[in-house]
Amino acid sequence: MFVFTLKHSPRVVEAYVGEYASGKSELAINRALELKFQGRMVTLVDLDTVEPFYTLRPLKKMLEEKGLIIIGYSRENAFGLGETGAMLNPAARWALWREGDIILDIGYGVYGAQTLNLVEGALESNELRVIAVINYARPMTGSRQRIIEYIKNLGRVDAIVANTHLGDQTTVDIIKQGNNEILAAARQLNIPVNYMAVAEDMSNYIKIEEFNLPVKFIHRYMPQALW
Amino acid sequence: MQTQMVVPPTPKSWYLPSKPHKFCPGCGHGIVLKALGEAIDELEIQDKTIFGCDIGCSLLSWDFFACDSTQTHHGRTTPVMVGIKRARPELITIGYMGDGGGYSIGSQHLLNAAVRNEKVTLILVNNTNYGMTGGQMAPTTLPGQKTETSPFGRDPEVTGYPTKGPEFVAQVTPDSAYVARATVSKYNQLRRFIRNALRNQIEGNGFSFVEVLSTCPTNWRTNALQTWRFLEDEMEHYFPVGEIKNPFGKGGK
Amino acid sequence: MQQVITENKKAFMTGNETAAWAALVSGADIMFGYPITPQNEIMHYWTRLAPQYGRGFLQTEDEISAGFTVCGAVQSGKKAFTATAGPGNVLMQEPFGMAEGMRLPLLAVIQQRGGPSSGTVIYSQQEVTLTTFGGNGEGHRIVYSTATHQEIFDYVIKGFNTAWKYRFPTFILGDGYQAKMREPLELYDPETRGIEIVDTYPLVGLEGSISSADRGPQHLCNIYSMEEELYDVVMEISAEYESISPEVVEYEEKHCEDAEIIILSHGVVSRAADDAVEALRAQGIKAGYFRPITLRPYPEKALRAAIARSGAKKLLIAESAYGQFYRLTRQEIYGETAKIETLFMPGVGIVDNDIVSKVKSIL
Repeated sequence: MFVFTLKHSPRVVEAYVGEYASGKSELAINRALELKFQGRMVTLVDLDTVEPFYTLRPLKKMLEEKGLIIIGYSRENAFGLGETGAMLNPAARWALWREGDIILDIGYGVYGAQTLNLVEGALESNELRVIAVINYARPMTGSRQRIIEYIKNLGRVDAIVANTHLGDQTTVDIIKQGNNEILAAARQLNIPVNYMAVAEDMSNYIKIEEFNLPVKFIHRYMPQALW
Repeated sequence: MQTQMVVPPTPKSWYLPSKPHKFCPGCGHGIVLKALGEAIDELEIQDKTIFGCDIGCSLLSWDFFACDSTQTHHGRTTPVMVGIKRARPELITIGYMGDGGGYSIGSQHLLNAAVRNEKVTLILVNNTNYGMTGGQMAPTTLPGQKTETSPFGRDPEVTGYPTKGPEFVAQVTPDSAYVARATVSKYNQLRRFIRNALRNQIEGNGFSFVEVLSTCPTNWRTNALQTWRFLEDEMEHYFPVGEIKNPFGKGGK
Repeated sequence: MQQVITENKKAFMTGNETAAWAALVSGADIMFGYPITPQNEIMHYWTRLAPQYGRGFLQTEDEISAGFTVCGAVQSGKKAFTATAGPGNVLMQEPFGMAEGMRLPLLAVIQQRGGPSSGTVIYSQQEVTLTTFGGNGEGHRIVYSTATHQEIFDYVIKGFNTAWKYRFPTFILGDGYQAKMREPLELYDPETRGIEIVDTYPLVGLEGSISSADRGPQHLCNIYSMEEELYDVVMEISAEYESISPEVVEYEEKHCEDAEIIILSHGVVSRAADDAVEALRAQGIKAGYFRPITLRPYPEKALRAAIARSGAKKLLIAESAYGQFYRLTRQEIYGETAKIETLFMPGVGIVDNDIVSKVKSIL
């Protein structure tokens, strides 16, 4: 049986951008692992320049054990941490030169998607897709108008992922209400919504047919990071 | 028999219950504060002036004016005045400090308030030493000048040259700032410079800074003649008097 | 004031953002700050939000200046605040002292990071001594130690009111974990909860004309000529602090009625302590939970009462520091005979299992 067809599928290059604590890292990790489970070679890049070392650092070892290649600082090489360390990992700058799928986890900040200027070849790449993660329960993206303004300020955005949740207080109603607003905003902006992300522990409560967009059940890794 | 005392004219904005003031005989602070009082009267800003004083001899002015006044910490008058001005831009804030407070412990505040072109007026009295603590070396102590902590005279090789405050403030401020150096030996000019510095704030132009060369006979251990000679011959020679930056056009020397 | 929250709703956010939103709904007029991790997002969010609501911000040249600009702004009658951590908290002790000495309603959010020195930017509970008793004064401060984002929101609102009502500098003591953690909370407009916002008033720049003798000038000072003058001032401040303390003091107590051991903790560690007590109870171990919410003033009477009521023979003090909360507690309950055991984990997080194992090892 042939399994090599995957080799010929185009490689995936995705950058996750969005508001602080919108779920960028969570979705980037889930996407990277999803691709990995398909037998692909996947590199996950931590490009958080505003608060480096907070997000992926505690999870790096676990993710490497699952077979991902991680570009990001770990405890051993993160001397001085947030304030005095080098803010951009040199390997991250050249990430697109690597083989295989590349998932970029872009930190928040006033420059939005402009952080991609730091990645060699990103803007010239015809493979790159910039994906904005929106959680309606985030006050800065807590209304249709705010979402529209926020995404306009991000710069380039090719697609949206709807990620409305309230942590362990999430309800189906909150997801429905929030994601409907995100869909409406996306229509006005004329940007496609790729899918809506829902924590896997909600899977019993979600009737997929009630939503007119694909639903992806995700595993929440970030709570393991203590913040 | 009735004795007629001659009462010198006092500015309306002076707070009379605190007079006579507490400065040493021959001290220049009284002259600076008189010029400031007259400028406040002339500009009719007594009711909206907030006067802030530092630690050191400038502290003795804490209840000098019939204006709302607040006393801060050594070197910290600048940020307190900035805080008031930022919160209540309609008020006129005057920070009053010595050379130690402005050029040494509070120099980062002076520099950065100037760079941000804060709309405050700062008056810094330069008497080349720390007076209140007993006559130690200040950033402005002249080369060769003896103080309690430079007993053999200030050696610039060891402790550098005197700080030229207005010159450095002028370097970091835009043209809308007012920067001048006055001296208590030229009273009318002193009053004019202070008035310009206040007018610049009233008009909302920018940072306003006046250094005033002043006298400290107590710590200089000088008699009246020697005091004046040190001020006019030594200090005014080293620290040129005049307007360095004046948004109102050409100023006088 | 423009209404910030038109409809009360749940939000998913970090502790730092929560503090910024809380300051906004409290009607804070202006923030002064200087960057230091882990409090940066308080400034980031304040600077994004403030212009939409006509509020001010100034990034000062250092923390000394940030503290003193707040001192100036509150004297002029505006609701001003700052936020800092670690070495910044050290530098701010000077303006905090001025606020104590002049009774200025300053509010500061402290997100503790590791120490001493630059330590880590991540987390600790090592700024307890500094925040409660820092400076050259007598600790006349009000310090709320929060444990959840909801509390950060609630206590920033309350903290502004406390500061302006009692005129003692007020601190919201969080930490790097609370700063960066994400969790849901309810954002609300204080008025909808029946919370009245305490009015501000100026100490300088008052209404009325001095020149036309409507009123006299204000002359504020923090230095005195004679020992006796200062003595009177400090004694008066002390008496007032003690008289308001019963109104201000707050704590949380659970399962202390029959406890053999009472676990004492504050801030984010109390979440672990709470879980640990439940776990111990489930295993038949009679553990109690006591958490001061105000570290200054300390709920001394309540703690003594809890010890007496339970007859507990042991106390366990758990903190992410090497004994700062322990020393504070010990001096407050001097004379109690219950043995004090300690779990000191300076600069690292404490989870329920750490406490459960410690309890089992000492019972």
